[in-house]
Amino acid sequence: MSDHPSNDDHVLPDGGEVPRETISIPSEVELPRLLDFYELQDAEHTQIHEFYENLRDGRFTTTECRECGELHFPPRIVCPECTSDDLEYVDLPHEGEMYSFTEVRGTSAIGMNEDTPFVAGVVDLGQIRLSARVDDASYEDLEIGSEVRLKIVEIDGPTDQDRVFYRFTPV
Amino acid sequence: MPQNAAIVGGGTTEWGARDATWKDLAQEAGKATFDDVDGIEPDDVEGLFVGAVQPERFAFQSHVAPLTAELLGINANKMIARTELACASGQAALRYAWLAIAAGQLDVALVLGVEKMNLGQEYMPEMQSNMTNVLDREFDGVNGLNGPSHFAQFAQRHMHEHGTTREQLAMVSAKNKNHAAETDFAQYRKKVDVDDVLDSYPIAPPLNLLDCSGITDGATGLLLVSEEKADEIGAETAAYITGSGQSCMAGNSINNLPSMTTWPQAREASQEAYEQAGIDDPLRDIDVAEVHDCFSISEIIEYEQLGFCEPGEGGQFVEDGRSQLDGDVAVNPRGGLLGCGHPLGATGVSQALEVYRQFAGAVPSARAVAGDPETGLIHNLSGSGSVHSVMTLARDPQ
Repeated sequence: MSDHPSNDDHVLPDGGEVPRETISIPSEVELPRLLDFYELQDAEHTQIHEFYENLRDGRFTTTECRECGELHFPPRIVCPECTSDDLEYVDLPHEGEMYSFTEVRGTSAIGMNEDTPFVAGVVDLGQIRLSARVDDASYEDLEIGSEVRLKIVEIDGPTDQDRVFYRFTPV
Repeated sequence: MPQNAAIVGGGTTEWGARDATWKDLAQEAGKATFDDVDGIEPDDVEGLFVGAVQPERFAFQSHVAPLTAELLGINANKMIARTELACASGQAALRYAWLAIAAGQLDVALVLGVEKMNLGQEYMPEMQSNMTNVLDREFDGVNGLNGPSHFAQFAQRHMHEHGTTREQLAMVSAKNKNHAAETDFAQYRKKVDVDDVLDSYPIAPPLNLLDCSGITDGATGLLLVSEEKADEIGAETAAYITGSGQSCMAGNSINNLPSMTTWPQAREASQEAYEQAGIDDPLRDIDVAEVHDCFSISEIIEYEQLGFCEPGEGGQFVEDGRSQLDGDVAVNPRGGLLGCGHPLGATGVSQALEVYRQFAGAVPSARAVAGDPETGLIHNLSGSGSVHSVMTLARDPQ
């Protein structure tokens, strides 16, 4: 009744077959650098490169506003209190106390799922509180108020940059 | 004088791990919505508001509001927008639609929340990366802090500061999941008791697996119209928006959260909504509350911040049964995020639709709020808890 070809009829009206060809896409796609959680830390990529340079040198620092005196964390390029961009890097304590924490036991993000279980929490450094991973401890080893100290991790990853980040470890 | 705006119906897909694409979900929810409302067709819609958080990551698709217009045959000739406010995106879409109608810019809006999230266990790290990116990726996400591990710390601090018990957390989960057992689209429809929650895997201690909402595919829509249009189509039931408040602190990163036991922005947002709605005593004046129980601890803090009880007493509030269907305020009769799952962009839309359905008496009797409810509230938090959105609804116009 219909002039349309049936579903199993692959023959064109002119009698030829519908042309077909296999095309290939890569069987694996490399993890793009953008999907790892560490920023490119040099002056060509971020204006807070001094934070990372200091950390690489063993100093834990953040910005403080020369105009209004506000201490920031994370480091900024503009003061969120007064919008001044006259900021300087100042040293933060290397020791603090656990304010809160948990242990990541379920699936975690790309690039860190292999690390589970791991402890993550909030560390109170006095002037600021910050989120951080705590190495060398399980959930049961810690209490609110447990003392921890700074640890620097060097990132061996998919760029040739010498990237670093901070974590903490029990005192 | 702003125009009144009312929800006059809506519909939903089934929620859960769906064999469906983002576009499938949008179409299913759109059809369910138009099927539910007599007198409004796609051609009548002037504004389209789509709540969607991460279609770019989960479905590799952006510009999703116009795509939805195409799928549903809508010429949104007055306003079109996608809203992204993480877990509050659905309520944000509803709020924009309400503002547009209140301002007299349009009379008929479709509000649709759509999220495709559950890509299967193989891609769970991708999913967790996306959730982690809701915080400050450079300084929080890098530490592996996602939903469960972030809210676990609120639970730990609340237990530490206020003596809230593990059992009280479990009571929230059991209550909501038992409601969800009666909700036909919910992701989790199995009844559980407090011991089941306590015995479930401690996925981010002190939170267990059953203290957590799900990774959910789902879409829900509703039609929001001016009072004049509601009268014109002869809507039998309407849920009028009577107040809407929102508050965001100057902070999103965990590094700048002043408290991990209170949400002052939830208090501010709710007070703003109560003032607009003329609500003096929320416990007396609100019959049904759909609050953001992304984790059991969240609902306990919300009792306190929404003014249902004093700070620190949220655990006792649930233990005393005051948030049960026949309690002082029925909280999460739909089953909450804990029971229904949490397709981010759809959640707030679904909460509002639940309030409408409770007003209409269109829910199974096993989870119907006692005493013919006439007033309702929806609440969403987003991100680290730095933003809160609260909307009040009533069966009659103000």
